[in-house]
Amino acid sequence: MNDVRIDIEVNGIRYERTVDARTSLADFLREQIGLTGTHLGCEHGVCGACTVLVDGRSVRSCLSLAAQAGGTTVRTVEGLGDGDGLSPLQQAMSRHHGLQCGFCTPGFVVAATELLENSAELDDHDVREALSGNVCRCTGYHGIVAAVLEVARERQPATGKAAE
Amino acid sequence: MTTSAPLMGATVPRREDERFLTGRGAFVADLTGPGTWHAVFVRSSYAAARIRAVETAAARRLPGVLAVLTGEDLAGRLGPLGSLHKPQPAFVEAFSFHSAEIDLPCLAIERVHYVGEPLAVVVAESRAIAEDAAELVDIAYERDEPVADARTALSATAPRVHPELPDNVAASLQAGFGDVDAARRRAAHVVRNTFRIGRHSGIPLECRGVLSRWDQARQRVEVWTSTQVPHFVRTAITTATGWPTHQVRVRTPDVGGGFGPKANVYAEEVVVAYLARLLNREVAWIEDRAEHFQATAQGRDQELEAELAVDSDGRILSWSVDYVVDVGAGSLWVAGIIANTALHLLGAYRIPHYRVSGRAVYTNKTIVAQYRGAGRPEACFALERSLDAAADAAGLPPEEIRRRNILRAEDLPHEVPLPYRDGVPITYDGADFGRCLDACLKLLPAETVTDLAADYPDLLLGHGISTYVEATGRGPYESGRARLLPGGTFEIAAGSASAGQSHETTFAQVAAQTLGVPFDAVRVRNGDTDAVAYGIGSFASRSAVVGGSAVYTACRRLRERGRELAAELLDVRPDDVDAVDGGFSSSDGRDIGWERLATELAPGGGLADHQPLDQTSTFSPPTVTWTMGAHAAVVGIDPGTGIVRVLRYAVAHEGGDEINPAVVEGQVRGGVAQGIGGTLLEEFAYSAEGQPQTTTFAEYLLPGTFEVPPTAVAHLHGPADLNPLGVKGVGESGTIAVYSTVAAAVEDAASSAAGRITTTPIRPSTVLALLTETEGEAS
Repeated sequence: MNDVRIDIEVNGIRYERTVDARTSLADFLREQIGLTGTHLGCEHGVCGACTVLVDGRSVRSCLSLAAQAGGTTVRTVEGLGDGDGLSPLQQAMSRHHGLQCGFCTPGFVVAATELLENSAELDDHDVREALSGNVCRCTGYHGIVAAVLEVARERQPATGKAAE
Repeated sequence: MTTSAPLMGATVPRREDERFLTGRGAFVADLTGPGTWHAVFVRSSYAAARIRAVETAAARRLPGVLAVLTGEDLAGRLGPLGSLHKPQPAFVEAFSFHSAEIDLPCLAIERVHYVGEPLAVVVAESRAIAEDAAELVDIAYERDEPVADARTALSATAPRVHPELPDNVAASLQAGFGDVDAARRRAAHVVRNTFRIGRHSGIPLECRGVLSRWDQARQRVEVWTSTQVPHFVRTAITTATGWPTHQVRVRTPDVGGGFGPKANVYAEEVVVAYLARLLNREVAWIEDRAEHFQATAQGRDQELEAELAVDSDGRILSWSVDYVVDVGAGSLWVAGIIANTALHLLGAYRIPHYRVSGRAVYTNKTIVAQYRGAGRPEACFALERSLDAAADAAGLPPEEIRRRNILRAEDLPHEVPLPYRDGVPITYDGADFGRCLDACLKLLPAETVTDLAADYPDLLLGHGISTYVEATGRGPYESGRARLLPGGTFEIAAGSASAGQSHETTFAQVAAQTLGVPFDAVRVRNGDTDAVAYGIGSFASRSAVVGGSAVYTACRRLRERGRELAAELLDVRPDDVDAVDGGFSSSDGRDIGWERLATELAPGGGLADHQPLDQTSTFSPPTVTWTMGAHAAVVGIDPGTGIVRVLRYAVAHEGGDEINPAVVEGQVRGGVAQGIGGTLLEEFAYSAEGQPQTTTFAEYLLPGTFEVPPTAVAHLHGPADLNPLGVKGVGESGTIAVYSTVAAAVEDAASSAAGRITTTPIRPSTVLALLTETEGEAS
């Protein structure tokens, strides 16, 4: 076994940890930081349930090593709320019935957050394209796409910031 | 006190959402911790082989390994899993139903029957070490000849999957009514076809998983498992181990989708519970996706030979079907699956003469369970595809042949001269099936193809329709419990555990309205055999109907008992007290709220010598309640690749009252998405040797955001008199008719003759061949 020392910021908190070199970022987040909202649905990079933001970009944490994430800033689904409440995206997901069993939900919230933070105007195709790397088995994507479009529509387009 | 707005029928936001949206759900893998020991199963590499030796010494020596057990080690200590469904005698007699008995040990002993069958288990301090140790278990196999195809398995010379049986027939049935042969002689058109629905399944995004520990203080095993059927799991554990029921508690954490494969019970659930007690440790097994493709029960895999005879007006004269279901190495649900096809083949139509025979067949492939629809999509595909072919033969549009045969208001309720699985004669308790067909065509008319042509200039567009029927809400019963908590709020529990179906919201709606209290005063506790002693589970579109009704009756009783206690407290007769919103009111104008009752029931209160307010009730429906619906699709074919895209979809269905319309729509839309997967993408493939060829999501394709179109849903109200809520099941409504609907639309897009597409998944190569054929005919 090879141990690797990493220094990583997760949801605003800095951690210095020693990890086994073969530890995936997903296992690190789930088992060492206790952030079990990052889910493992396939462990081969297809389903998207394990998506997290590493330095602002979405990453499959099942295919990334914790050691690779040393020195980066990671945001997981647990860190995407609005203070103690739900973000506009999370609220819209609920309002549009964009989740049922909830297992894929963290990956969608993370991927859609990235999309909303990095684009001005969005149409149905843009949203489906950005979420095409995430699988939902329950909803048929209907409410998920509607929720993201609604948030995109209601925010101020110039800033990409959600409207109050 | 004022009357509050009704909760039943309202789109109440889901209670479950907040924790899932913020990553605070608690799925079984999330329950493991530093003290958890991890089990990994060693699985068969061959589809058919005898086990000569299992060498475990190297695995045992690996640091961090606690135990390695083989099938031999467990022989005599763990019995097999029992069948999960036995039809009632009246069904058995009417259908001449037979089934074979097999007893697969939890860990294989002498023989393996499919790739992925568990034959040893390793327990270690981490998952990684357990996986490393599992690699070190050395198995000496003597290979046998496998059979991976159901038709081959039926031949007299085929190798037997279970050598102790005389053949590979797992179950058989035959039945009918009228005189098919005489009716066919009067026919103007007879269409015959062989249809095939490929092997695919629910693929819940969360794989299975079990965590168990021995509670030394209470001398019992606690189990958390990702299942739709916690009470069945408890029965499986007690049956296999011989432990008394009170020594096993099974709970469901958050469950990441079920769809049928998790309405099965599995050897892993029994073995992990057994290991927790044997080792006196907390032991978890978390299935990974590679395992899921081999070890979790699969579905469908059916071939049907069908003959439909119609007169010159397109009216159905007779319908006869012989079918074969491939149940792999076995199915604890074989009776249910084979029966469902026979019972749903008549569809939504007047069919005067019917003959059906079916066989379930063992092959050396992964075990099979129910999957959303469970035998119904197969029946629907054969009938609806045959109707399209007959329409073509009779020169009628597809909607017209359906209009001429569909059961209308004057035909309903409609009695079928056969018993359902519960032994009760079948009655379609619907309102007007023709109405659904019309409503669906209104949502998505055939002219949509013309409207969309400009948007999709590179695609060939086509329209298809189908209808389906479904028996929902089957018994035999479900349990519900309601209890008053200190402070005047309520806890609700039901035997039908949620696997994502919104029970925390919908059961709370039922309970709050029945009790006459605010929604916020009610909380629902998910699957727990301690919460209700008996239960069945969430599958077969039954939770709202049977579980919801059990919650309703428990709440009714609780409210009635509360009224008696309020009367005692007020020193009046119960008849002088009315149940009102928030509590009770006497005829002389005095009010008692639930909070006051809770206080009076507590020590020191005026009712302290009474039993707590806690009611458990079971609801047993007299029989199933039938739903019906119509589906329509517009698809586009890329003529260069043969790839099919579903562009628009619509479902109009006849249900009962809706508890929560958004949940109903969500079930329908999600069902459509899974149906599209099974129709166009998903199939478990096997080599002739029974080796799985689809073991990742690169080979087994799932529908994504671009594969599932917007789906319009119309809910039409029909009678539902068999349960006090007036509801019908909806979980499978979205899935059943997708296969036939999309197939019809593809043929229309290809300008092909109807009834040419007989197999799903519909491959691009099939579509290209169809296009070439059509071009040939045109030129």
